[in-house]
Amino acid sequence: MLRYVIRRILMLIGIVFIISVGSFFLIHLLPGNITAVIEGPGASPENQAKLFKLLGLNRPIYEQYFVWIGNILHGNLGTSFISQTPVVTTIGNALPIDLEIMFLSQILAFAVAIPMAMRSARKPDGVIDRFFSAGSFTMLSVPSFIVIILLVLFVSIKLGIPHTGPSSYVSLRGDWIGNLESMALPAITLAVGSFVVYFRVLRSDLIATLQEEFITMARSKGLSQRRIMWRHAFRPSSVALLGAAGVNIGGLLAGGFVVQYLLNIPGLGYTLIAAINTDDYLLVQGIVLVVSVGVVLINFFFDFIINIVDPRISRE
Amino acid sequence: MLELEEMALVERPEKKKPLGPLFWLCVGWIALNIFGAIFANVLPLQNPLYQNYSAINVGPSLHHIFGTDDIGRDIFSRIVYGSRVSIAVGFGSMVIGFGIGAPLGMLAAYRRGRFDTILTTFMYILLAFPAIIATIAVLSFWTPRSVFKIILVIGLASVPLVYRVIRTATLSVATKDYVIAAKVQGAKDRRILMKELLPNIAPIGISFLLIGIATVIALEGTLAFLGLSVTTPTPSWGNMINESRTVLQQNPWLAIFPSLALCLFLLSLNFIGDRLRSHFDVTEVKL
Amino acid sequence: MTDVSEKLLIVEDLSTTFATAGGPLPAVANISFDLGRNETIGIVGESGSGKTVLSRTIMGLQPRTNVSVTGSVLLDGNEMVGASEDFKRRLWGTEVAMVFQDPMTSLNPVMRIGKQIDEALRVRLGMSKQDAKARAIELLELVGIPSPVQRYKAYPGQLSGGMRQRVVIAIALACSPKLLMADEPTTGLDVTIQAQILNLLDELKERLHMSVVLVTHDLGVVATRTSRIVVMYAGRIVEIGATRDVFANHRMPYTRALLESSPKVSNASHTRLITIPGRPPNLLKLTQGCSFAPRCSYATDKCHQERPELQAADQPGHSFACWNPLPTTRGDSAT
Repeated sequence: MLRYVIRRILMLIGIVFIISVGSFFLIHLLPGNITAVIEGPGASPENQAKLFKLLGLNRPIYEQYFVWIGNILHGNLGTSFISQTPVVTTIGNALPIDLEIMFLSQILAFAVAIPMAMRSARKPDGVIDRFFSAGSFTMLSVPSFIVIILLVLFVSIKLGIPHTGPSSYVSLRGDWIGNLESMALPAITLAVGSFVVYFRVLRSDLIATLQEEFITMARSKGLSQRRIMWRHAFRPSSVALLGAAGVNIGGLLAGGFVVQYLLNIPGLGYTLIAAINTDDYLLVQGIVLVVSVGVVLINFFFDFIINIVDPRISRE
Repeated sequence: MLELEEMALVERPEKKKPLGPLFWLCVGWIALNIFGAIFANVLPLQNPLYQNYSAINVGPSLHHIFGTDDIGRDIFSRIVYGSRVSIAVGFGSMVIGFGIGAPLGMLAAYRRGRFDTILTTFMYILLAFPAIIATIAVLSFWTPRSVFKIILVIGLASVPLVYRVIRTATLSVATKDYVIAAKVQGAKDRRILMKELLPNIAPIGISFLLIGIATVIALEGTLAFLGLSVTTPTPSWGNMINESRTVLQQNPWLAIFPSLALCLFLLSLNFIGDRLRSHFDVTEVKL
Repeated sequence: MTDVSEKLLIVEDLSTTFATAGGPLPAVANISFDLGRNETIGIVGESGSGKTVLSRTIMGLQPRTNVSVTGSVLLDGNEMVGASEDFKRRLWGTEVAMVFQDPMTSLNPVMRIGKQIDEALRVRLGMSKQDAKARAIELLELVGIPSPVQRYKAYPGQLSGGMRQRVVIAIALACSPKLLMADEPTTGLDVTIQAQILNLLDELKERLHMSVVLVTHDLGVVATRTSRIVVMYAGRIVEIGATRDVFANHRMPYTRALLESSPKVSNASHTRLITIPGRPPNLLKLTQGCSFAPRCSYATDKCHQERPELQAADQPGHSFACWNPLPTTRGDSAT
């Protein structure tokens, strides 16, 4: 177990290092004079000095990396030349919104996917299973930006439910019912995308698990169907489910960007797109770095949980 | 479960799941879309960029079968032209992804040893990196954006995934007796790779390719929706849906038709991929 | 035959047919036998002879779809064929329990073994948490697992095959069943462990007054531990009788082939074992005649055309199904 954890942590450090190098080199993709492009219309000798201090642009490229990473390790991602706000502050304000959307959507997705997969796996190829499977397969082909458009069309425009349309975001600090209303469509959209993945993974894994000898063994003990499904089949299969959830984070992020963009919800996705459109490169770089490291950490966390659920993995 | 021992002795009747009419319908649909994308110039379509200010936001009619958008352009013709971007990006980036990832995956699984260990560790590290963020990041700095750059970025981003799938598939074949037999008999590596391994992993490869194309097309759609794909006025399914954002209330058709075109195309690709996979009796591996 | 109520298990004309893509597959056909209290019966046959399906059908543990069961299984007066899952569930564990073939797959890999034992105690016997744990540790001790208190918390993956099979036995014994179905309980284990497990089963049977159905492909295993033997081939009984009679006076050529193909300690070293030519028949393509005929050196035209029914041999309770039975005078194969 300890060896396994050490190996994972080494891997994690390697990944974070590669992410940092990747994010660092992003600004060198910029066409033309980097300082001029980054500072935009606010270019001045003073700003130039700030930027050189932050990025070490006058030094050789490998030194630049150490200057840059040194600043980041001190929590300094720079100050945007466009909005004059520290990048860390902007990210700090936006991040909780993403976390809230993700949290709500995952609860929804699991709440729907798990019982449906259980039902389907009990009689594979039965009427219910076929219906669920065909439905989830179809939904697999509907990208989240279409889901949210359709939801807005019907829920906000046709039904006129308040706080669900574009530009009607209510902050959690004010009115939490309004906030839940404005989070409903984003959460549902992300839940739809996740649900499809979770249902399909859990269903096929449950079907395989239910063929296992230890299920027959559990049956022969005289346990109820319900108990067998939850205690004996779901737990081994939940490893596959957690694995899928870890991998799904990427899709979740993209979905988050899309809903925030459409509904003008000031989370990281919205901020990122706005930053791209205003050429606020330092902010883009900061968001890319934070989000990537966040995803890797979440994946690491999922790996860890999987280990606790399934004692077989770390032993091999 | 119980009859395993018994059933193993019963010769399995040769049965392959038939592909079925729905499969061929999907193939036809994909073919029709590709045909439209290639010959959009020659087909009797209205100019997708022509702005007819006397027909703004009109619903479907005989003259404009899908209606027009908020500046009077014909939606149907824009959808046909828009398929070009999606199809080019989908196929183009998978050519890059498979062109690099597949040979590496096969070679790594066949050679094993240090080459495999190093390459696989490297690819798994890259896999941990969320491809969508990487793509958005690179595309936002690497301006101006063009179809070529999008293809290149998505294609490269897909290499680790293709590598993993192909390597896993090859591994399962490379350890089979007939491959080992061929090795022992002194067959050339190239011959074993091409004659023994390739035909056996082709079914997995093809179904993953189709599902990969669908995924990439959805990704391009997302990028276009976020305004990070090809610049307007060139139509693409994603940016048409993006443009519809502001006029959802007045003209829902502008959102609905491109969405439908995109979803049907993706559904067909996914369906073909899935059917091929079960046809070749490939178990549902983590594609 | 003695009074019916004295028998713990009465199987009559039992058939199990699977619906497969290739047509109906008669895995078990027209099986009849009975089992007294505190008796051990052996069911012997090659892989694929239907013995595993038979043992599960007796218990009512067959899969729930694509299978049809006919005939009758009376278990302590309860009819198992056609009974609802709810009804059977009340008998599983308390009336009849099973020791599975492969301890590597029959234990839940992500559940501590203690939990797998006391689960049955708590659900079926309504024991409290503490009582169940105490009893589970007792059971672990009973099946000979060293330091049971520590092992209680182990996962199956942390135990050797032999230890796992002991756990499987402990689970089967948890609710003190009257009948224990042991389905090839030693196949997955090392030879040295096999005898230990079999002796353990024997000992437990005496101590707990159980009846045992011992399913195996190895005649050596049943020789000393059973009072009667059922020999199966292609889903049917081909010979049945007291263990002594089957060993000494078997009439069916298949039984002899089985005997000759199993190693015996009494053999001189380097004795060549005689294998049975060919392989068990495809159950989807059974012919009219005796299923063993294609592999039998005594087979005549009649064997290929007409299936022999069970007929009584000289000894009481001994019968066989063969048109050209071996002569009765031999006794050379006895161990």
